Amino acid sequence: MAGSLAHALRSPRVLLALAMVLGLGVCAIFAGFIAPHDPGEQNLLSILTPPAWAPDGDPSFLLGTDSLGRDVLSRLIYGARTAMLVAVFASFGAMIIGTILAHIAGYFGGAVDWIIGRLVDVWMSFPPVILSLILMVGLGVGLDRVILAIVLVDWTRFCRVLRSEVLIVRRHDYVAAARLLGFSHWQTIVREILPATLPLLITLFSLEMAIAVVVEAILSFVGLGVGPNQAAWGQMIADARQYVYQSPWNLLLPIFAIFFAVAAFNLLGDGLRRTLDVRLAQAER
Amino acid sequence: MLALEARDLTVSARIGAATVPAIRALSFQLAPGKILGLVGESGAGKTMVGRAIAQLLPPGFAITAGALLFEGEDLLTMAPARRRALLGRAIAFIPQAPMTALNPVLTIGAQFDEHLARLGLKSRNARRERAIAMLTAAHLPRAEDLLTQYPHQLSGGMCQRALIALAFAGNPRLVVADEPTTALDVTMHPPILHLIAEMQRQHGTAVIFITHDLRLAAQLCDDVIVMYAGRAVESGPARTVFATPAHPYTRCLQLANPAMSAERRTLYVLPDQMPSLVQLQHIAGCHFAPRCPLVTAECHREEPPQVAVTAVHTVTCIRAADTFGISTAGRSFGPPALLEQPLLRVENLSKHFAISRGLFGAARTVAAVNDVSFTIAENEFVALVGESGSGKSTIARLLVGLEQPSSGRIVFDGADLTTPSLRNRTRRAASLQMVFQDPQSALNPRRPIASIVTQAMEAGSRHASAEDRLKRTKELLAEMGMPADIAARLPGQLSGGQRQRINIARALCRVPKVLIADEIVSGLDVSIQAQLLSLLARLRAELGFAMLFISHDLSVVRHLCSRVLVMYRGEIVEQGPVEEVFGNPQHPHTQALLSSVPPDEPGATWPLLRAN
Repeated sequence: MAGSLAHALRSPRVLLALAMVLGLGVCAIFAGFIAPHDPGEQNLLSILTPPAWAPDGDPSFLLGTDSLGRDVLSRLIYGARTAMLVAVFASFGAMIIGTILAHIAGYFGGAVDWIIGRLVDVWMSFPPVILSLILMVGLGVGLDRVILAIVLVDWTRFCRVLRSEVLIVRRHDYVAAARLLGFSHWQTIVREILPATLPLLITLFSLEMAIAVVVEAILSFVGLGVGPNQAAWGQMIADARQYVYQSPWNLLLPIFAIFFAVAAFNLLGDGLRRTLDVRLAQAER
Repeated sequence: MLALEARDLTVSARIGAATVPAIRALSFQLAPGKILGLVGESGAGKTMVGRAIAQLLPPGFAITAGALLFEGEDLLTMAPARRRALLGRAIAFIPQAPMTALNPVLTIGAQFDEHLARLGLKSRNARRERAIAMLTAAHLPRAEDLLTQYPHQLSGGMCQRALIALAFAGNPRLVVADEPTTALDVTMHPPILHLIAEMQRQHGTAVIFITHDLRLAAQLCDDVIVMYAGRAVESGPARTVFATPAHPYTRCLQLANPAMSAERRTLYVLPDQMPSLVQLQHIAGCHFAPRCPLVTAECHREEPPQVAVTAVHTVTCIRAADTFGISTAGRSFGPPALLEQPLLRVENLSKHFAISRGLFGAARTVAAVNDVSFTIAENEFVALVGESGSGKSTIARLLVGLEQPSSGRIVFDGADLTTPSLRNRTRRAASLQMVFQDPQSALNPRRPIASIVTQAMEAGSRHASAEDRLKRTKELLAEMGMPADIAARLPGQLSGGQRQRINIARALCRVPKVLIADEIVSGLDVSIQAQLLSLLARLRAELGFAMLFISHDLSVVRHLCSRVLVMYRGEIVEQGPVEEVFGNPQHPHTQALLSSVPPDEPGATWPLLRAN
């Protein structure tokens, strides 16, 4: 595992993706220090200011202002904080639930596998965006609710993919050998199976972060996201929609931010898959 | 005119910046109607010869020198269109794995039709008739029905028969058979070999027969070439070469093979293993020198020349005169005393598997193991033999508790182990261990060797300290005859033989009373097999344990075990002391198993091969 991680860090794809994710992470953590303005501070005297380099731009608003005179750059940076919080915690929650159920289903098989498998089938038959919208209506807006909604919708993704991987690993004789040496079921799963599914788990986690960013943006766009007090990229797009002809920058910048975040996570996931997946790595050699 | 002649054929592999010869200046002559055997262990380069004829070399390999003349024409320089016209028609191939060589989505008939159409049979009816004639000639019953069947509906032996019929359908003048029986059950070996020999005689075909089995080559082939690390080390008439081997490698291989009829003796243990292509770069002089018992300083200086022993028998060794002096001592370990009190007692054990037929179909059960009873005494090595699917592995899984029996009892040391309670599981873990067949699958590729061999010490709530585990690792590796620096490596960095030793070491960590070994030496080369067999015998003397040794190789069973159980379709049909059962087999299946082993003496006749 350590060896393949070191191998992964030598891949330019992973390094580029990590740099992009790191940039987003710094914005999210140090938003208060980086952002020139308070993201909610309204400056009604200068609304819809173009970026600083445009003819009538204002150097104090580097990327201009929105229809309420809020600084776009600051809102983007605080939006990154929202997006990253959702991406990390929602993916983590979905991963925990999905992974536990996948390992139980794949390891024990039989009736347990059947029940978990049908549960996943039924769950996945709801369109994910609609399901999360319904959940948000029921739960109410707020950052924690968004995370909960995404966890409840997306755990199935982990469960289904990981279960088939567990089935493959379980067939190896070393799993049977561990049982014969006196390992309990729990020990066998944690020490023999989990290390083998971990590369896939990491890859899925990074892909899930990209999905979580998009879902959060969708929910914020329709006003069922983190709530009006918190800056979010989806909300910025929704606000800018009405003034798209006067100020296209307001629309394009958050879209680019979402694109940047999704590309970073997808690139990371793809790069990790290529380097951590034993089968793919062997085929390439 | 010769059917095939190789002149200084050289196949090289590109490794990094260097090129290493995988076949080095191989020359031979094969007359029409003769069988030439290529024998040696894996890595010797024998399969590469067949691939060179088909010009299907693996990536990175290329023919770099020499000529390969088929009826006087060089296959290497002729126009590709001409070569394609020859391959499949004048030159045919019989593959190693029959089940994967046939197209699973086409019927046997469709595959014959396609091949015969390519051979130029215009009319559909003529093709059908020819296919039926060829399948009948291959002794396949109901050939008409067979044409409408798919490969998965046939057994491995039937698939191989169909493939042999397919190969001979075009009246080829050369057939290359690469280990055609290795993937099949032992009882299928004689009929398949008989069929190849019969077809070869009828069609007057020249055959290149690639095998690792020296006894088989002695029976089937006219001439043989013994290969080692890409070089022909010895060649000549098959019976002469094996009766009076001149190269130390040939002699050592013979002595590493357990005998079937002669007095039981210790096996000759060749140290180490065949050098890989990477290692070959660093071996100066004779390639066999690092393992050779007759090695002198001169052997390391330069490659030995080819010298003639007789007019037809040549060898590449400077010490050929002393080869026959290599020998092993007589039997060094006696059979263990049979104790009155059996350690493991299996009573009327049965295992039924349910085969459900959809939602409403009646459930049907299949008896994998049916009413089996036997005992194993302390220190006793008992063999369990039988064909694949006879229930051998199911018994192993029942004994260690990976499957639960449908009925019957397993009694160990006076205590009933049948029910899967936690108490029984812990008792099993301490005293009953299993060695799995395939070390590739049985060793976790992510655990270092030290962690694998002492894995038993981290089970349950007991947690041994790191020092204890390291100490035990060193002890176990020393017992296995392995260097201590291997402890930090991963299984993927070891060779097949080393991995199997680690596999055994893990089972021995807590010194069990009984070891269940499921085909642990099958698929390994003869010299590696000899290493493991002597290791097991030594470990028993040092540690003292009983073993249920599951195998299909009767000569190995005869060498290692004192008692044998013969399984057939889930039942034990015969059991008793090895010498008695093998000397005077009663059940027809035991007789069939025994007669499918070629005789030890190269001069002896093997009735099954010659009979018609």
